[in-house]
Amino acid sequence: MCELFAMSAGQHYTAQEYLPLFADKSRANFSGWGIGFFRNGQVFIEKSCEGIYAGDQVHDSFQRLARVIDSRVILSHIRCTKSGHRKESHAQPLSDHFLDHQWLFCYAGESKGCAGYRSPRPILEEDLLAARVFEFVRDGWLQQMADWPRQSFYQGLAVACKDLITRHPGEYVFFLANESVLFAFLNHGQLLSYRPPEPQGEFLVLTTVSGGLTRDPERWRAYPHKDPNRGQLLLISGSDLLYLGHL
Amino acid sequence: MCDLFALCASQYYSATRSLPLFAVRGRQNVHGWGIGFFRKKQPVVEKSKEKVYQDGRLHGSFQRLARVVASPIILAHIRYKSSGRVDECHAHPFVLDFWGQSWIFAHNGKAPAIESYRSSNLPALEAASDSARAFEFLRDCFLEAEPRRREVSFFEVLKESLYRLFRLYPGEYNFLLTNGCFLWGFTNHRQLLLLKGSERLEDALLLTTIEEGLSPENWQKLTAREGSLGKIVLAAGGDLLLVADLEP
Repeated sequence: MCELFAMSAGQHYTAQEYLPLFADKSRANFSGWGIGFFRNGQVFIEKSCEGIYAGDQVHDSFQRLARVIDSRVILSHIRCTKSGHRKESHAQPLSDHFLDHQWLFCYAGESKGCAGYRSPRPILEEDLLAARVFEFVRDGWLQQMADWPRQSFYQGLAVACKDLITRHPGEYVFFLANESVLFAFLNHGQLLSYRPPEPQGEFLVLTTVSGGLTRDPERWRAYPHKDPNRGQLLLISGSDLLYLGHL
Repeated sequence: MCDLFALCASQYYSATRSLPLFAVRGRQNVHGWGIGFFRKKQPVVEKSKEKVYQDGRLHGSFQRLARVVASPIILAHIRYKSSGRVDECHAHPFVLDFWGQSWIFAHNGKAPAIESYRSSNLPALEAASDSARAFEFLRDCFLEAEPRRREVSFFEVLKESLYRLFRLYPGEYNFLLTNGCFLWGFTNHRQLLLLKGSERLEDALLLTTIEEGLSPENWQKLTAREGSLGKIVLAAGGDLLLVADLEP
């Protein structure tokens, strides 16, 4: 299973303490990795089809990027071998521009139905489930906002997510973020969140890695999910979980 | 009755058009004004006890600040006193800290019941008004909830706090609350008006209590639904993120 990482803060932070731990705990996935972040409202993505581990070392570029990248929102994805061909274009995060923002997206899960989705505006022509899920959610959300322009982002996205799991039953965990806001959705497995002790800074770390990334798993708050017909949608901005809704 | 204003954008933005219009349309509020924003996570508040509009002119400082202040979130308040003296310390917005962050708060409404509230936490706001006590009350609720911060969302704590507020100190509360990263709004009387993507004003999200809005555009009126205790609004990055009714 691919693994996901997100960090959200009220100001620019590096994830230099947490990204290497994320890589270390995801070392079984050796089919590519990616880090996405924002600078001045623009998306930047660095990714590779190489394994996150080379020998007993975290990939050199990944280590260096972890130290250097600072942003209010940082997403990362480490790809498992089951996800198809080993190509850089298949590594995540993916990005697109809609609703007046640049968005970053990364996904882990399985869905046979959604793999066949054909969007009128594909993000990627290649066969990649993450791209189909992103397109489905984006298209559904845009349709919602077009039909009900006065509704909130959360409401529109929640309807699109509900539509996703209803029309294409499957396993979904994804992060979707712009430069200010991070949405996290899951209908299987679990997400964990961690707020470090105050002196270390005001930020929130989320991951799919079981047990969390630090040596104190009890400090991680789990959002488990057992019913794939429903789902949870989290809204995060800065270092705070602002809203959690069950679909 | 006081009036509230907020601008919310994804980047640093000035409210050069909308803030003066807000002041002009809210000029019946003659007991002071204030503008609040964040600079590098630090709250900055400029306020005055003077009239925002006098002898056909906007207050000079208000005008200049409207041109100069740039921030992703800007709050403003024009005061018509329903509680407390007319001086600078009673002008809004107010600043308090909780959950490891500074917060800027501005209130509009009448809630005499809460004037008797005495916070057990420090600091206390100097102002002797319902607005100052209401902010302290909310701060205290969040401080009390801090050990649960890992478990609950901000929305849940805000909701709990508002239930307690209405049970113990019923009144009229419209308020704006921001940490510079996101902006919460609440209304249980009058209304909040929202506009996003204005062609005449700033291309940001604008909020105000001014009934007709600040431009002849399609302002969205947010009011407490009949039977609900009020409406909660959340904005960040120039977007309306959440709208929820506070059910009884």
